[in-house]
Amino acid sequence: MEKKLGVYICQGCGLQEALKTDGLEGIAAEKNIEPCRVHPILCSPEGVDLIKNDIDNEGVNTVVIAACSRRVLYDVFNFGPGLVVERVNLREGVVWSHKPIQEGEEAPPDVEDPYELIQEMAEDYLRMGIAKAQRTVPAEPYEAEINRKILVMGGGVSGLSAALEASKAGYEVTVVEKNKEVGGYAAQLRKQTPWAAPYEALQEPIIDKIIREVEAHPKIDIRTSTEVARIAGAPGMFDLTFKDPGTKSKWDVPRQLTVEEREELEKAGEEAPEAGALKLEDATPDNPASILVENPDAERFGAVVLATGWKPYKPAQGEFEHLGYGASPNVVTNVAFEEMAAAGKISRPSDGQPVQSVAFIQSPGQGSDEDFPFAAGVTSMVALKQAKYVRDDNPKAKAYIFYQHMRTLGQNEYFYKSIQDDDGIFLTKGDVVSVAGNGDGALVLEADDTLLGQRIKVNVDLVVLATGMVPTTRDEPIMNLAYRQGRGFRDLDLFDGYADSNFICFPYETRRTGIYAVGTIRRSMSIPECIEDAAGAALKAIQCIESANRGQAVHPRSGDMTYPDFYFERCTQCKRCTEECPFGALDDDVKGTPLTNPTRCRRCGICLGACPERIISFVDYSIDNIASMIKAIQVPEEDEEKPRVVILACENDAYPALDICGLNGLTYSPYVRIIPVRCLGSVNVVWIKDSLSKGLDGILMIGCKYGDDYQCHMIKGSELADIRMDKIGEALKSLALEKERVQQVEIAIDEYDKLPGIIGEFMETIEEVGPNPFKGF
Amino acid sequence: MTEESTVQEESQAAVENEAPVESTPAILVEPDLDFVRELKAAGGDTLKKCFQCATCSVVCELAPEQKPYPRKEMIYAQWGLKDRLVNSVDVWLCHYCNDCSAHCPRGARPGDTLRAIRAMSFRHFAFPNFMGKVVGQAKYWPIMVAIPVVVLLLGLLVTGHFHIPEGAVELREFFPLYLVDVIFITFTALAIVSLGFGVWNFLQGIHANSISEGYAEDKPLVMGDYVKSLISMIPTILLHNKFKLCITNRDRYQSHLLVFLGFIGLFIVTNIGFLALYIVRVDFLAPPYSFINPVKLLALASGVALLIGIALVISNRYKEKAAESTTTYLDWCLILAILGIVVTGFLTWISRVADAGWFAYVIYFLHLVCVFYIIAYLPYSKLAHLVYRTVAMGYAAYINRPFGLQAVAAGAVAAPAPEVALTVEKPGAEEAAEEVEASAEAPAEAEEEQPAEEEEKKE
Repeated sequence: MEKKLGVYICQGCGLQEALKTDGLEGIAAEKNIEPCRVHPILCSPEGVDLIKNDIDNEGVNTVVIAACSRRVLYDVFNFGPGLVVERVNLREGVVWSHKPIQEGEEAPPDVEDPYELIQEMAEDYLRMGIAKAQRTVPAEPYEAEINRKILVMGGGVSGLSAALEASKAGYEVTVVEKNKEVGGYAAQLRKQTPWAAPYEALQEPIIDKIIREVEAHPKIDIRTSTEVARIAGAPGMFDLTFKDPGTKSKWDVPRQLTVEEREELEKAGEEAPEAGALKLEDATPDNPASILVENPDAERFGAVVLATGWKPYKPAQGEFEHLGYGASPNVVTNVAFEEMAAAGKISRPSDGQPVQSVAFIQSPGQGSDEDFPFAAGVTSMVALKQAKYVRDDNPKAKAYIFYQHMRTLGQNEYFYKSIQDDDGIFLTKGDVVSVAGNGDGALVLEADDTLLGQRIKVNVDLVVLATGMVPTTRDEPIMNLAYRQGRGFRDLDLFDGYADSNFICFPYETRRTGIYAVGTIRRSMSIPECIEDAAGAALKAIQCIESANRGQAVHPRSGDMTYPDFYFERCTQCKRCTEECPFGALDDDVKGTPLTNPTRCRRCGICLGACPERIISFVDYSIDNIASMIKAIQVPEEDEEKPRVVILACENDAYPALDICGLNGLTYSPYVRIIPVRCLGSVNVVWIKDSLSKGLDGILMIGCKYGDDYQCHMIKGSELADIRMDKIGEALKSLALEKERVQQVEIAIDEYDKLPGIIGEFMETIEEVGPNPFKGF
Repeated sequence: MTEESTVQEESQAAVENEAPVESTPAILVEPDLDFVRELKAAGGDTLKKCFQCATCSVVCELAPEQKPYPRKEMIYAQWGLKDRLVNSVDVWLCHYCNDCSAHCPRGARPGDTLRAIRAMSFRHFAFPNFMGKVVGQAKYWPIMVAIPVVVLLLGLLVTGHFHIPEGAVELREFFPLYLVDVIFITFTALAIVSLGFGVWNFLQGIHANSISEGYAEDKPLVMGDYVKSLISMIPTILLHNKFKLCITNRDRYQSHLLVFLGFIGLFIVTNIGFLALYIVRVDFLAPPYSFINPVKLLALASGVALLIGIALVISNRYKEKAAESTTTYLDWCLILAILGIVVTGFLTWISRVADAGWFAYVIYFLHLVCVFYIIAYLPYSKLAHLVYRTVAMGYAAYINRPFGLQAVAAGAVAAPAPEVALTVEKPGAEEAAEEVEASAEAPAEAEEEQPAEEEEKKE
């Protein structure tokens, strides 16, 4: 397609006052670009019409808009999918974040015009924008047949509620439940904490209502006594194989070996199977241990909702010994107590006698005031409920609750108040020191630091420990994904085993696109919270399907129609892209070359940054694209004393933070040239080399935080960049270049006020190391 | 370290100094579920709503710094710890002003809860014990009223005076003086004996409880010293000094003072009459009195004070928002009895002077019923507070448990302890001057805010 560029320069928002428009027009003329138009308010209907007119009548098909940041008014400057729009950030990036040289301020030699440095910046950005636009092609969506069915793994309250939400929105849903009946733990309660106003009394479990609704719904298919053996494929085209629960099927995804296990096998002279598969030659349709073999009988689904929930906490041998657990049968967990209560009247496990007094312990103590593991805000509610059971069964009985925290969130405060009102429920904050036999067949509980002002002991028949809800993903992979990177989610110990992504920003997301976690598998929550959560997860599943249907990325680059293109002819099968992709979007094919799954891809570009052969590109973001931007920067001679630094800013937190500096009038060095990148992980080392050989004095990479408390929207991107830049230090030394010239900085979007200081510090470092010796070569 | 921070640390330590640092042996706790229900029925119906935020203890103008009330009493009440509550001296230091209830974020009404605890105290220490139950419960009221009516009618019957006399109104023609004296002296003596037993047990009880709570030393009670402390509290009580400190219920201070002084006046007048009639035999001082007799004037003044006082008490009760406090059966009993006494008293006098015939005698009879009611049931009714609270306040003075005015006074008088050294570095003259100024302000502030600290230092 023949490219016809048009350059449009806005004069509003302070641009006219600070910039010489004819200078900018000169840049377009240099490149022989016509039309090049100027407008006082480009985003006005007249301004937009100006552009549209050129598109319709002049054949312009690539529009370069020199105005505000690309993060704003993208709906105004949208001319349809076949048209490339490149935004040059002259407002937030230049005019709002830079002031002319003030009187008395130090200036480089020969600079008389106070606006000279700002003009240089603007002209460079226009050059860069044009260079990129010339190499950008409109995206054509990846087209594939997308299946619109949703699979819900787990038939508990979360799974069933998600199924209802999705089916009410018009989608067909299959619910898979490994037990004989649906309902999960929500169906095993005697009563439920209140889920409706006035939130004061215990209610009948809501699950029955939900089950009836689900069973009656025509779009929901429930399959009990069924487990998932394998999930192959990608969003929009997941191929599911099912099996009987607890059995081994030939389609089970083999466990991926750990590094240690591989090494041991190698030492023993055996060949380690690839990614948990047998050697591919040994895989046959009858013995398809390889993840590459497809099951012809698999069922196809568009998205998966993971709702396998929780399991009761099982104390280890000797754990909670000081509380009598294990020593006495009358010390039980809250789950065991609920089972007793649901079965009938509560009695002492040791001798079956009716219970006159029960103590509920909310925190194991021993120097810490934390609740039991995995408790969150649920066990307080459960203790209040179960104390009420005791009193309902016997009006003369006494129930004690010893807590460090009483967590009754939101409307549940009314429930707490109503339980408090019961004469026979005695609450106190306290540190339970011990539970032991009292010599009379009952137990004696001792607690310190109580609200009664001293160490007390009470005699009780039964003690209940408020243990928590352990997510099923803590101990088992659950997922059985036929992905090269392994069958389960990775690094879940960062989240204590909960199925999670960086959920602060992105609830329901997991590291596997198209798979959404809901309910107690992502954090301890109560039944009403699960029901609410289910709506979110169902919506995510629908978003995924509909995005894939349009060839668009789901999240976080929602709506992005580009996808990575691989020039396989030059692939050396080094596997860096397949290993480093945070989302497991790349598998291996038979030859070991990366096998792309475009709908799994989140378009972060980390593969692009990883590839040493530079064979990966997106139509609007490629090695060439960005390198040409770098090469378009005008580098002044050394004696002009105007350093040039490239800032690669990730589009998630860093680039917005830079914009926010502009919005707040915070200024930074005019010698920097900012290039937004998709993720710092997508920065290819060749760009660093190109910058340095072009004569740029330094490269500053600004991106999101990484580590255990990561904020990187692509999970590992900035961390990978950091590792790669470490290696670059060696290459720099060999070129007699200081490694201080290339630095990476972590920033969060709310730390924008630190950016001027960070950039300033970097510029000082560059001043110290001096100008790039390759300048002018 | 500046003096300000040291003072803050010390006050923090003083406030947190509730339990000793070494672990004490655990105390067996056995909640009494029936007691919880009794408390709720006696006016503490909202006591379970408390969630121990301690706003009440902070807001109370009278509560001491160390182990203040009413917070701990609320949790004791929730846990049905009867023993700790009926034997508590703290519940009697409370003057029921309702600052606490007004500020309670949960509507737990600690003021009312403490009132209920006091009502249970009356019941617990009542001698004989069944009288406590009878007087305390609404269902027995008809019996309570019937007894004085029956006793007085019987008296009339037995002495052959069971008729309305003819002629000018002459009260003793209807109800002979000796009969009045026999009946009332007997029942007064019974009341005194019963009170004696009750109060003796009460004193022993609060002493033992105060030792276990840690505000009294583990030594036997020295009666002589106790009596001295008791006497030292009398001016405070007469002047209602503690009462004055309460904010929410300022009206109650006034109405109670009037009722209190009115009663004292009438008590004096009655005793002067008795003495003059039987012992000293001074006609001038014996009843009946003429208008201008000083005894009569005192009586009238006291009566008026009592009338206004009780009228204010009743109107205050209606003004009081339900959120802050409720009025229970026990309260109304006493109020009506006092109202009865003062109204029938005035009406008796008026109808005698106006020579109103049978009406005067009937009113006089009713007056005697009311007086009997007040005196005979005094050990078991709310009026017993006049003895229990006095004994308790005396005890608080005895063990130096500072509360209200005492605490503030102590703070204002004592200077900062000499151990708290001022170590000021000399950054510059100006700054040094500022620091000295700041630390000079700090002790003054500290004195206002942490009076208990001084008390502890004294000990």
